[in-house]
Amino acid sequence: MTTAETNAQLAFRDWYASTKPKALRPDPSPEERQRPFAKYYFEDIPPPDPAHYAMMDKPCDPSKAIGPERMNDLLKPGDLDVEIGWCNLPNGAGFIANRMVYPEVTAEMVDWWFAWHPLEDLRYRIWYPPQHAGIMLSPEGRKRILDPKVPLQEKNWGVVHHVTEDCNCGMENIDIHFMSPKDFGFDMSRWKEPYVSTFAGGYGWAVAVEKTDASITAPALMCHIFRPHAKGLEHRTRFWMGYRFSQGKPELTLPPGVSVPVAAVQGLARHNVCEFTRWGRFLPRIYKELGHGMLC
Amino acid sequence: MPIKLMAASRRRPGLTRAEYFRYLEYYHGTIARQERLKIRSYVQNHVIDGAFGVLEDEYHQQVADRDAVVEIQFDTFPDMIATLEPATPSAASQDGKFFAEERNNIIVMAEEEEVPVPSPLPAFNPGLGIVTGVGALKVLLYVMRADDVYREDYYQYFREAHDHALQQAPYAREQLRRCVMNKRCRANDNDAAARKHFKMVDPPVYDMIVTHWYDTLEQAGAFRQYYEALRRFPKSFANWSKSFYLYTRQVPIIRDTPVS
Repeated sequence: MTTAETNAQLAFRDWYASTKPKALRPDPSPEERQRPFAKYYFEDIPPPDPAHYAMMDKPCDPSKAIGPERMNDLLKPGDLDVEIGWCNLPNGAGFIANRMVYPEVTAEMVDWWFAWHPLEDLRYRIWYPPQHAGIMLSPEGRKRILDPKVPLQEKNWGVVHHVTEDCNCGMENIDIHFMSPKDFGFDMSRWKEPYVSTFAGGYGWAVAVEKTDASITAPALMCHIFRPHAKGLEHRTRFWMGYRFSQGKPELTLPPGVSVPVAAVQGLARHNVCEFTRWGRFLPRIYKELGHGMLC
Repeated sequence: MPIKLMAASRRRPGLTRAEYFRYLEYYHGTIARQERLKIRSYVQNHVIDGAFGVLEDEYHQQVADRDAVVEIQFDTFPDMIATLEPATPSAASQDGKFFAEERNNIIVMAEEEEVPVPSPLPAFNPGLGIVTGVGALKVLLYVMRADDVYREDYYQYFREAHDHALQQAPYAREQLRRCVMNKRCRANDNDAAARKHFKMVDPPVYDMIVTHWYDTLEQAGAFRQYYEALRRFPKSFANWSKSFYLYTRQVPIIRDTPVS
C-alpha cells in the first residue's frame, strides 16, 4: 500500500540532489498544501522570550559547563550550573545548554513528534519554517518508523534523520543518528521519573548544502532530555560540538589547537531557542489533531 | 581499535613490485618505527593478487592496480591528526613519493567493527587452541556503495549479505577465521589538504573495506566462493564494477601481539 508517507521516499542520490533546491525553501507544493498539517506552515511564528534569547548573546563561563563525559549529571535532581548558555570548552569543543518548560506538552507527545516528523519534508518544515528546509529517511529507517510493532519511544533508535536546516551559518545537510539512551551513555539505573521522562538524541555530522572542497564536515552530540516540572515538562538540551562517538564513548574529533567556530556555537544556540519556542506552542495542538499514529 | 588510516597505493613508474616492496618495508617501514609519533600499530599488507570489477564489465571502471595497503592505527582521533600533521613535517610524509604513485592513492579513515565468524580456530593443527582469529592470508575487500543507497542501509544490507554469503558458501564458512568491517569515518570528508598535497584528483570514496583472514593462500578459493555469494544477495547495496579485492601478505611494522 502506498501512502503519502511512503511516496516521500527518495533514493540517496536523488535526495542529495534535491537538497540544493530545498535549501531555497520554496513554497509548499500543491500536493503538500492538501496535507492536513499544511496550515501550520502558514502560522505566525512566535518570537522567543527576549530575556531568554539574550542569554545566548555572550558565552557562559566554560568552567561551569560540562563535557559529554558528565552527561549523567543531567540525571541528578535540581539544576546544573549552566542550564541556558553556550561557550567553547577549553579543548575547543562547542558547548550549548538550553532549557524550556512547556506547560501543555507531555512525554508521549515528544516521542510521537520525533517519530512522526521525519516522514515528510513539510512535517519538518512546519516545526520552524524560517530555517527548516527538508528531511529524509532511508528506506530501512522509514520501515522502522512505520512499523506498528516498534514502540513509539524506540522508533528512532538506530534511525538517521537526513535534515536540511540553517542554524544561522547557512543551509546544511545534517545526518542525525538517533540512539537509545543506553547507547548514548546514560545510566539506565536512574532512567525513570522524576530524573527523566523521555529522551531524543544521538550524534550528527553537518556539512554545507553548497559543499566545496574546503567545507568542513562537523560532528556533534545532541541531547534532548525531558523531566517532570511543576509547570509541565522541562526540556534540557545539550550539544557538544566537535565530538563523535568512538567505540561507544564520546571522543573529541578536532585537530589539536582547533576550536569550533564561535559563530557556529552561538548560531546553533540561538536556533535552538527559536525552534523550541515554536515547538512548545504548536506541539499540543498538532498532537491533539494528528497524534493518533504515524499516517495521516 | 578506535580509528585507523588505510592507504592503498600502487607503485610509482619504473619500479618492479619487488623494488616497491623492498622500499615500502625496509625504508618506509623503518622511518615509521624511527619516528613512531602517536602510532599504536602499523601493518603493511603487500598484495599477492586481486581482482577489480566483475566479469560482466567490458572494461575496467577504476584504477585496476594496487600493490599494497598500509594500515596505521591510533588510540584517538587527536593522536591520528598529531601524527599526520605534526608541527614539523615528518619524514614519512615526505617519503611516499619514492615508492607510490601518490595521486592515485585511496585513503580511508576507518573505524573497526568486528563481525563474529563460525570457525575462528582451524580444525587442522589448532595447537593449544588459545590463539584464534588469525591467518596468513588477509583479504581486503573495497566495497563501493551503490549511489542510490543510504550509508546506514548499505551497512545493514552488507551484514545481511555477509550472513547470506556464509550460508551459501560452506567452504568460506569453514575457513574464515576473522572478519572486520572497516567503516569510513565522516571526519575523512575533511581531507582536502591531503588530497591537494598528493594532487589527488577526485579520488573514489569507499564507505567500507571488509577484511578477512584465512589460514594460508591455499584458502583463497574460500573467499572467491564467499564473494560470488555476496554479490548474489538480492538487495542491491554495492557497485561491484567499482569494487575490488586484494589477497595480501601482512608485514607488521609496529605491532604488539594482539590478544585473541
